Amino acid sequence: MKIGRLVFIFLLNFLAIICFTPAAWAFCGFYVAKADTKLYNKASQVVIARDGDRTVLTMANDYQGNVKDFALVVPVPVVLKKEQVHIGEPQIIERLDAFSAPRLVEYFDEDPCATNRYRMEDRMPMSAAPAAQESANKISDRSLGITVESRFSVGEYDIVILSAKESNGLETWLIRNGYKIPKGAKQLLQPYIKQKLKFFVAKVNLEKFDSAGYQQLRPIMMAYESPRFMLPIRLGMVNSTNEQDLIVYILSPKGQAEITNYRTVKVPSDTEIPVFVKNEFADFYKAMFQTSYTKENKKVAFLEYAWDMSNCDPCSAEPLSPEELKQAGVFWLDRQPSMQPNFGLPSSNNVFITRLHVRYSRDKFPEDLMFQATSNRESFQGRYIMRHPFTGEMKCEAGRQYKRSLPQRLEREAQTLAKLTGWNIQEIRKKAKVVSNQPTSWWENLWKN
Amino acid sequence: MDSAIAIHYCDRFHLYSNSVASRMYCSYLGNLARKKDLILLNPLEMHSLRSAIITSLGLSLLLRTGSYTTAIAASLLAIASKFIFKIRNKHFFNPANFGIISVLIFTSDAWVSPGQWGEDWWYVLLFAGTGGTVLKKVGRCDTTVCFLSFYAVLEAIRNFTLGWTWDIFWHRLTSGSLLLFALFMLTDPRSIPDARVGRLIWAGCIAGLTFILRNQFYLSTSVFWALFILSPLTMFLDYLWHSTRFSWERSLDRSQDNSSHEILDRKAIIFEKI
Repeated sequence: MKIGRLVFIFLLNFLAIICFTPAAWAFCGFYVAKADTKLYNKASQVVIARDGDRTVLTMANDYQGNVKDFALVVPVPVVLKKEQVHIGEPQIIERLDAFSAPRLVEYFDEDPCATNRYRMEDRMPMSAAPAAQESANKISDRSLGITVESRFSVGEYDIVILSAKESNGLETWLIRNGYKIPKGAKQLLQPYIKQKLKFFVAKVNLEKFDSAGYQQLRPIMMAYESPRFMLPIRLGMVNSTNEQDLIVYILSPKGQAEITNYRTVKVPSDTEIPVFVKNEFADFYKAMFQTSYTKENKKVAFLEYAWDMSNCDPCSAEPLSPEELKQAGVFWLDRQPSMQPNFGLPSSNNVFITRLHVRYSRDKFPEDLMFQATSNRESFQGRYIMRHPFTGEMKCEAGRQYKRSLPQRLEREAQTLAKLTGWNIQEIRKKAKVVSNQPTSWWENLWKN
Repeated sequence: MDSAIAIHYCDRFHLYSNSVASRMYCSYLGNLARKKDLILLNPLEMHSLRSAIITSLGLSLLLRTGSYTTAIAASLLAIASKFIFKIRNKHFFNPANFGIISVLIFTSDAWVSPGQWGEDWWYVLLFAGTGGTVLKKVGRCDTTVCFLSFYAVLEAIRNFTLGWTWDIFWHRLTSGSLLLFALFMLTDPRSIPDARVGRLIWAGCIAGLTFILRNQFYLSTSVFWALFILSPLTMFLDYLWHSTRFSWERSLDRSQDNSSHEILDRKAIIFEKI
């Protein structure tokens, strides 16, 4: 009797496990458009390649002013030497952006009266924007409590690494050396000084910039070792209550990365939307992101992409080559030479990319972003599906059924789109050419012009 | 968001069910070993499931893994720790905490997401916790109160010293994961010190170690490690300060005081049957 009960309990457990196993979703479809960082007016992009405590941080923001006014002050955990700072290629960030951007895929319904067959259409997109901001200096003034830990030039940047004893001294030093410090910066600098962080201060060497003929500022990369896995965002919010977009690409040999002090939420994905969105995908994504952001009370980070970088499905851009990954800061590839033959397949380079989109503002994101890499290797992508209805002649019973079911499907797609974006359902129906065979509610057209 | 949480719960249901099953199985083995011929599902044994349910909730709400074997391992190890690591018939590791730390150390596919509960639920949790304290339904809540107060004081001192604005302090304290830990993991009445003085010292030490691990060693899972490291301290504190040990049976009887006669009658009938 007792053994019988025991068996029953184990069977119950087994059933629970089987029943609650999530369905395996296959990612398939064809890429036609993507929502990359060009959508946003002000989007900073940061690439963090991290394994253990070793970190390579690449920063690029879309600085659009005069380069002589450019200056960058970033708290860093350790004193950096010249060999630890490098100038990255803007194309690498564009490549990462293109590879991981949310994507629109399209399918064509097959002829319900014929055998299975589908066609695809492929349209390649645009590229992303790079950049940065600020100006740099020399002079060490002990009386201000400032120590110039190192000073060097890399590429078109003059860089100074400072340590400070108190924020007044640091502020005075920066002003004396020609930096325009916004009001209120002093209060924000103080906590970083007390945490014994150093300050990475960069400005553009105009002579070098002009002689090299660069059109835009290139990203700055820094390599260091520190248990702190964080990104200071507070300094960027001095005197600004506006929302700012930040795209963080985290490259890790482990798996997905996430923010530990804010909730990380997946962007809505794998939804079917009307085909007209193909021509306004950028507007769709912006509206959808804004709706989700507002729905989450503006205080979450969004996961837009998480994938092993050796492959993609569907690919919005070719996976990065090992050489490109190195340029993006991945430093562990040489340590793990692939011992297995790859039989012509792309070898697993053990780089997992996580693309996080944070729209932050002073009131909703009071604290700097803290990250952690997890062993979660689940793939995720922001993916939106269009299904083109079959328009050919259908004479069979299946064809007639298909025709009858089509208005319902189009209506469902229109409603999904309205829900995701907050767009007017009537407008969507008009654009999607939804001929509803269901009677509309009497009030829907009551106050329509 | 509600649907997301519902999915989240469904996805972790196996953890819950496995822990409960593990508890029942271990209880069954324990009974066999003691040669007590108790029926596994008899109402007298059901009260011990409360302990298993707390463990299951702790695991389901805080541990994340993509593999079922790891989930099963966590729940088995959690319950097994109650039977293995005990002195004077008292286990000193919090079972859920032991399960979490074990799989974090020994497997490569488990993790804890401190940010997963955001800050939106803090008032619900605090309300539930305070209500539970007042009604004495949630174990020994003096531990929670002491832990949260001491941790808050330490964070406040740090915030003040560094010169951060107070919204950072508030943001840190309203973390859903921290409150879940304080309300559902620290309150396990069986593995914590028996005497109030011991419990307060113990909770204070955990708060202190959590603070150090988080702010000096930048460990995002600091609370779990702090509890794990300091769990054996329970035995020492019990040695210094004696008190009545918590018992689920007594707790059950107390909470059902109004219907105590009915329960006694039922017990009598059951014993007669046995």
